[in-house]
Amino acid sequence: MSIVQQIEAIYANRGGRARELRRAGEKIIGYFCCFVPDEIITALGMVPFRIQGSQSEPIDEADALLEPMACPFARSCFNMALKGQYEFLDGFVAPHSCDTIERMYHIWRSNTPSPFNHFINVPHMLGPSSSEFYKNELRYFVTCLEEFSGRKLETEKLRESIRLYNRRGALLRELYELRKQDPPRVSGTEITQVLVAGMGVPAAEHIDLVQAFIEEVKNRPAPAPDGLPRIFLWGNEIDDVAFIQLVEACGAHVVMDDLCTGTRFFWEAVPETDDPLDGLVQKYLGTHCPRSLTPQVGARAEDLENRFSYIRRFAADWKAQGAIFYIVRYCDTCELEGPDLKEYLLKHKLPVLMIEDDYSTATIGQLRTRIQAFLEMIA
Amino acid sequence: MDATRQAKTTAVKGTHTAREVRPLVKNIYQSAHEAKQNGRKVAYMMVASHYDEILRAMDIVPLPTENYAGLCAAKRDMDRFLLKAEADGYSQVLCSYARIGLGFDSLRKELGRIPDNSPDGGMPLPDMMLGSSAVCDPRFKWYQAASRYLEVPTFSIDVVAPPPQADLNQVRDHYIRYQRAQFQGLIEFLEKQTHQKMDKERLWEAIRLGDQAWRLWHDIDRLRVAVPSPMPSQDHFSIMVAGHYYTGTQTAVDFYQKLYDEVKYKAEHKIGVIAEEKYRILYGGGLPPWHTLWIFNYFESFGALFAIENVYRGFDPVEVPAHIQDPVDYLAWRAFLRATRYHEKARARSGNPTVEKLLGLIADYAIDGVVFHACRSCRATTIGQTHIKSELGKYCDLPMMQLVSDMVDLRDYSEAQWKAQIGAFMEALAARDGSK
Repeated sequence: MSIVQQIEAIYANRGGRARELRRAGEKIIGYFCCFVPDEIITALGMVPFRIQGSQSEPIDEADALLEPMACPFARSCFNMALKGQYEFLDGFVAPHSCDTIERMYHIWRSNTPSPFNHFINVPHMLGPSSSEFYKNELRYFVTCLEEFSGRKLETEKLRESIRLYNRRGALLRELYELRKQDPPRVSGTEITQVLVAGMGVPAAEHIDLVQAFIEEVKNRPAPAPDGLPRIFLWGNEIDDVAFIQLVEACGAHVVMDDLCTGTRFFWEAVPETDDPLDGLVQKYLGTHCPRSLTPQVGARAEDLENRFSYIRRFAADWKAQGAIFYIVRYCDTCELEGPDLKEYLLKHKLPVLMIEDDYSTATIGQLRTRIQAFLEMIA
Repeated sequence: MDATRQAKTTAVKGTHTAREVRPLVKNIYQSAHEAKQNGRKVAYMMVASHYDEILRAMDIVPLPTENYAGLCAAKRDMDRFLLKAEADGYSQVLCSYARIGLGFDSLRKELGRIPDNSPDGGMPLPDMMLGSSAVCDPRFKWYQAASRYLEVPTFSIDVVAPPPQADLNQVRDHYIRYQRAQFQGLIEFLEKQTHQKMDKERLWEAIRLGDQAWRLWHDIDRLRVAVPSPMPSQDHFSIMVAGHYYTGTQTAVDFYQKLYDEVKYKAEHKIGVIAEEKYRILYGGGLPPWHTLWIFNYFESFGALFAIENVYRGFDPVEVPAHIQDPVDYLAWRAFLRATRYHEKARARSGNPTVEKLLGLIADYAIDGVVFHACRSCRATTIGQTHIKSELGKYCDLPMMQLVSDMVDLRDYSEAQWKAQIGAFMEALAARDGSK
């Protein structure tokens, strides 16, 4: 099986490897979003599993327990749990990433409890006291996880784990470098498969996959110039290739992103600090999610620059010619952030298409006309 | 004036004192306009952020933007603001309080003045915006977004609460320490804006008044256990103005003292709100339908009275340890104790603090049925209602109903659908009554 086929297989059967590992005696800890450190779970000898939904399966059971005006990604995940598709989780960890995840934690825990259940409060504000608070929340998480696993967290093990995930992050950034070529040798669809596949396997295995994939991509012949526009994606959860495939099928290259399922979770390395928890705090609270409030800096223009300059640099370095915002409906923080970011990018001459969607492959085709029109406009 | 603005929205109140709230509401906006003229600082702010007393102690005039959205809905003058925000790119599913606020700010900027005929004279330009993460995410993101229309200093604080399963002995210290640091950060921000140091004695005085008013409010609610009910929920949605928008002032204390006296008299003399109180209903949760508050009277026409409610309530009184001598420490402790008030009960039974609180209300207020209001644009107060309903069903056998619309956006409301649901609910109440 080629490396591409291996990745496709893991992507298509996301819980498959975790089930195998569990049968072999490993403990699997499921979690949401970008604020639960995999490094801690791994250092305690357990396997982190980032919970994903399914855009291709209808939400047919969750609505009886969770209001349909909640984020459809979260509802989809809960729907899968209710149908027994996350029966392999020994632990369930939710961070306070947003209102929906916070409230759903209690509903999930009540209806489909795992042997271990934990909630990590993540500050929305940023600053020294927020960092101290989050560090204490991580300490408490460690204490509870130690009790559950029967193991003590060894500092050296945590350092090793941090280095492991930093290694993975470095490889993923290397892979993203290959998207800078025009046309890129690797598609946005493939990148999504690589990233999502990695959310369901141990980091060491993901590293092997990414390394092999990078080699394969490097050996591909350089594609002929095609003049297709290069697209930057911003939004929240895109854990299915359907939307990116649609953009690429409409005649574009998806070359860079700022997504919960993309750069947000791996772009910044954990700094090596005397107390490794300090490094984790720096990395995780630095996650560029609209749910975190960057303190206001100066007047409006300066503030926008402070909030979004990293996106401008992403777009410039990857030579994006347009930005598409894909917002999973009912994400209040993205809905409030989107217009600000749009204003900022338009000021920097990057055209923007803002899309709000239902996290469903059934409705995604309706977006084709809008995407085509946008691509024609920027061509 | 268009058709929607002519429609009846408000409810007939059960108490005389509740009818005196309207001037208090008008005064919020009038005070803000006067403050601007007199050089005092005005701040956009979010209710129930536990920071009210700090604002009072620092002579900041609070301008509650969520309340303004509710006022616009009660006046049926919300469409122009909602539509403006949507035209500016905000989603129709975004919190409608925020959409009204952003739409109002956008129109005010575009016109260079307050939009004509804005309810209660509209909101003046604030000197600052003070958000918080208490209750929901839009309450700190909204003001960041509003900087598009008004460039004023903006500051937000975290308000944190541990989950009910947390071991409070292990987390208490870091929660309180963080909460204190957040309040201290706000104080430093306000000192910078006002060029004045905060006077701790003034803060203690505001806290004393705040606690006194909320204690009275709590005592009023305890009087409402009386049968027949001396004060219905529609009154609560008016009288909450004193507790939430005048926190830390003598005005709130005086108002609640007067209301207490009236409710006590009615309870003692068995003076009910309606002639025949057949059913006592609990408003189980969700923001009130500000656009259609008369619906409470509609229930009353069936003999069903809302005896108590679980939204915009005052926090139950808590006992901050006596060794706490610093007012900022006190605020942090008080916020923590309020947030964890039902945790122990939850751990002992259902696992859910809201369920425990509602079960307590059901028992104390002799409740016959529970009604929830799901608001399409409010995730914070809506997500979990279905679950809570189902959990309550494990411990009590009451008819329960979830009405769906929005707190202010009338496009999500259907009178015909509500009346059909209410009719079925009344049948369920009657059937239960008959089987007793």
